[in-house]
Amino acid sequence: MNDSDKIRLASNVAVVAGIFCAVVSLLLLLNFFQLTKSDPLESEVMQSMIERLGREPQNAELKQDIRHLDLLARKAYFTSQWQVNTGSYLLLFGALVFALALRVYFSLKSRIEIPDQIVENELKARILSQKWLLAGGVFVLVLTFAATFATKDYLKMYHVDETLVADVASADPGIEVIEVGSETAAALSGAETSSEEVPAATAEVAASDAAPAQVAEAVTAAPALPDAAQIRANFPSFRGPFGNGVSGHRNIPVDFDGPSGKNILWKATLPMSGYNSPVIWGNRLFVSGANAQKREVYCIDRNSGKILWTRAADNIPGSPATAPRTTEDTGLAAPTLYTDGIRVYAIFGTGDVIAFDMEGNRVWARNLGVPDNHYGHSSSLIGWKDKLFVQYDTNRGQKLLALNVATGETVWETPRSVKISWASPILANVGGKYQVILATDPTVAGYDAETGKELWSVRGLMGEVGPSPAFGEGLVFATQEYATLMAINPANGQIVWKDDEYLSEVASPVVANGMVFLATSYGVLVCYDAKTGSKLWEHDDGPGYYSSPVVADNKLFIFDLDGRLQVYALEREKKLLGESNLGAKISSTPAFADGRMYVRAGTTLYCIGK
Amino acid sequence: MKKLIYILLSLYLLMPAVLYGQQRFPKPEFDSGYEQPDVIAPEPRAMGLEYFDVLVLLGVLSLASWLALKKRSRQGILWLSIFTLVYFGFYREGCICSVGSIQNLVLSFADPAYVISATVLLLFLLPLIFALFFGRTFCAAGCPLGVIQDLVIIQPVSLPFWLRKTLGLIPYIYLALAVLYAATGTDFIICRYDPFVGIYRMDAPYTMIVLGVAFLLMGMFVGRPYCRFFCPYGVLLKWMSKFSRWHLTITPAHCIQCKLCTTSCPFDAIDYPSEEKAIAGSRAGAKKFVVYAVLVPVWVLAGAFVGMKSHTMLSRSNQDVYLAELLIKHPEVKSDPDNLDVQTFLSSGRTMETLVEDARIVRKKFYTGSIIAGAFIGLVIAMTLLNQVIYRRRTDYQPNPGDCYSCGRCMDYCPVEKPKK
Repeated sequence: MNDSDKIRLASNVAVVAGIFCAVVSLLLLLNFFQLTKSDPLESEVMQSMIERLGREPQNAELKQDIRHLDLLARKAYFTSQWQVNTGSYLLLFGALVFALALRVYFSLKSRIEIPDQIVENELKARILSQKWLLAGGVFVLVLTFAATFATKDYLKMYHVDETLVADVASADPGIEVIEVGSETAAALSGAETSSEEVPAATAEVAASDAAPAQVAEAVTAAPALPDAAQIRANFPSFRGPFGNGVSGHRNIPVDFDGPSGKNILWKATLPMSGYNSPVIWGNRLFVSGANAQKREVYCIDRNSGKILWTRAADNIPGSPATAPRTTEDTGLAAPTLYTDGIRVYAIFGTGDVIAFDMEGNRVWARNLGVPDNHYGHSSSLIGWKDKLFVQYDTNRGQKLLALNVATGETVWETPRSVKISWASPILANVGGKYQVILATDPTVAGYDAETGKELWSVRGLMGEVGPSPAFGEGLVFATQEYATLMAINPANGQIVWKDDEYLSEVASPVVANGMVFLATSYGVLVCYDAKTGSKLWEHDDGPGYYSSPVVADNKLFIFDLDGRLQVYALEREKKLLGESNLGAKISSTPAFADGRMYVRAGTTLYCIGK
Repeated sequence: MKKLIYILLSLYLLMPAVLYGQQRFPKPEFDSGYEQPDVIAPEPRAMGLEYFDVLVLLGVLSLASWLALKKRSRQGILWLSIFTLVYFGFYREGCICSVGSIQNLVLSFADPAYVISATVLLLFLLPLIFALFFGRTFCAAGCPLGVIQDLVIIQPVSLPFWLRKTLGLIPYIYLALAVLYAATGTDFIICRYDPFVGIYRMDAPYTMIVLGVAFLLMGMFVGRPYCRFFCPYGVLLKWMSKFSRWHLTITPAHCIQCKLCTTSCPFDAIDYPSEEKAIAGSRAGAKKFVVYAVLVPVWVLAGAFVGMKSHTMLSRSNQDVYLAELLIKHPEVKSDPDNLDVQTFLSSGRTMETLVEDARIVRKKFYTGSIIAGAFIGLVIAMTLLNQVIYRRRTDYQPNPGDCYSCGRCMDYCPVEKPKK
């Protein structure tokens, strides 16, 4: 085969390959037009059938026809997809052959050319390139610079909006002014309190009642914050005073029956559900509820069960437009509220924290950033003096925050090198100074309530920590179902004892009379010696415990998941004092006040008493 | 010949319509029993196979260097480039390539949470190391983006010097932007606008394939347009290759000034012997040199200033910034169910405040990054200008060490025989 034969062959191959490519392209094009013109999913037949189905929703034959047509449409789609894919590969193959044939054709036809003496005058070429480079460089810079004038910084405008929101908020007297009304005074005086602080608060109120001219002073003056005795006299947070599960209230009935109404003083229906437990100050009881659309705080007269006010946690800057996803057993209102008798504070699974005064006037609200929590945020609030503590351990950052109770501003913030947790903070008076104690994977740690400084930290927890710690007998007790139960000395951060025979998944331990009580999710209630860790007794009965054991009236109260209350004597030997049935599933923890017990089951609030 | 032109023209016209028909309506969503095809292309490989890819690249680079410098075989390089086309192109689907690895490397420096494997680092470094010693042999036969263009060259035309130099600024600008976008975690623009990866995968957005086809059609007449006027990795290879210890030579012995090689290079990468007139004329350009040298800081400052001013505009490519500004500018889009970006954001539970805060952080990064990128571009313009008034005396026809792709075409044109040992 000589060169001219090769050239002819290459030329013919190129022509054949070119025609092949053109034909394949044409077929693909036809396929495209066919699909555009007759889209089976958008056919009039399908549309009319769907419309007919709307009118005849029970027509099974029609449903079947639609399914058949839909199947055909999808088959058509996949067939066309196969055709496009196969066609593309054929086109590629043809194009490769075409390109190769062309290359061979041109290389065989090429002749060694007589080189030009001077291809391009170098000097002139360089001068010309300088001009073009200058023009090109200036063009690029000027064009880019000019384009910046058409650019507006909208992020700065958002800052302006934020300021406006803040201005509007500060201009609203309902938000900034805190009125200490007669109800607050009643709440304070209604509580079993020590006498030192109350007169101060009532004195302010009395002054405001007597002389209107002094109202402004009373309004602007900081209300008296409750002391430890006042807190103990109420039930202000999850698991009572300081979150330790011990209440001093007496005459709590151990005998009641939900279905028959025996010793059930009242039942109130709440507008929305939530897994938070009631908190009480004076005659006022607070709970919250939420769904995907709204979040609310409810104030209830604990004597009558009447809802005194309902307030929405809305219009909070930074609050997400759509609520984060949570699991059904957590929801958006799992954290329990905190009240100091001046205000009530609530946090929701959206990261919204809000404060109302006792009359339901919004004092402040802010969003802490949506917690990245796969079940939903559940850590409850607790406070001491002018600080509200928030344990904010999420998948995206972990921290302990102290917010100013009057303004919501962050007083301090301590970042934590731990994992996400669902436990709540507690307060412990160690050597005259209050510590905020937190339990998380992997540590139990104590923080100075005043400064937020970490005072001690002990490793030992793991996994998803739900139970909150407990403080008593000078020791901190923390547990988790797959880790251990440990007693820690908060003065030096040393582990005093450990045990892993029975461990809790959800319910928190409680300490009283030298004993620590633990309730497991598989139905075992265990009593240990608080100092030594030796097991004193156990009781394996019931479906399991999510509600935490609490101590009141020198007895141990615990609801199981089926709503059966068991009351035990605080003794080193097991002594069941009574059993009662509420007749509702219970996973929240009861609250106590003046011979009464309050417990929540979803949207129902029960008052048990005589 | 006319027939061929008609076929080419009809192919060019038909292609967009054909490609437009590829993704017609969305994938079906079944509740169960249907396995969605993997959306990551190419699918992740086992670590061992990643190292195998590095080994293959090392082998290709070694062989290409040997073929270009020692064996002096254009045929060998051609077959090796076909292997690269098949292996790194169609089999490995053009990912991860050394060109795109710049971005992985930059992001790993900018974001401590982003970690790259040793294979990515090796893919980035190996071609540069080889360029430092043997010239751009990676471009000759190791780069899937380069070889596909090389294989479609049919009738290359020579581009004028001024056009080459002016268009030659683009890769530097592209590199600066690619580094800026990668460092801010915004995007991997080299990959996003890779014109050939869609062809290798036989699946890509319409515009991406059109871009690739357009480059290939252009490449029939303008040798390797992407490599010469766009490739950001080419900038680094050029810097390395300029200092290459050994580099491909046109002649195996001594240049006899026959000029036969002058039309051999489709990339205009052969430097001719200096013209005496030009050398003489260049002396008059000393004043110009001083002016350009003085203007270097002016260009740098101007670039930095423009970079600073344009940071707002550039940062809009970032998803957070784009979304935050969209929601601020048009809050009504929150109720648009068809706006997937907005709906995804709303369903994520992320707050507007967090989004704006994150966007502000990104914009701050862009502020610094754009100043540096602008200064770099200013410096490149200034240095390119300065280079135009620097004349180097050459006596032979020789490949430009920075621009030569070591493809070996010119070697076949040289009538000088290799001296026998």
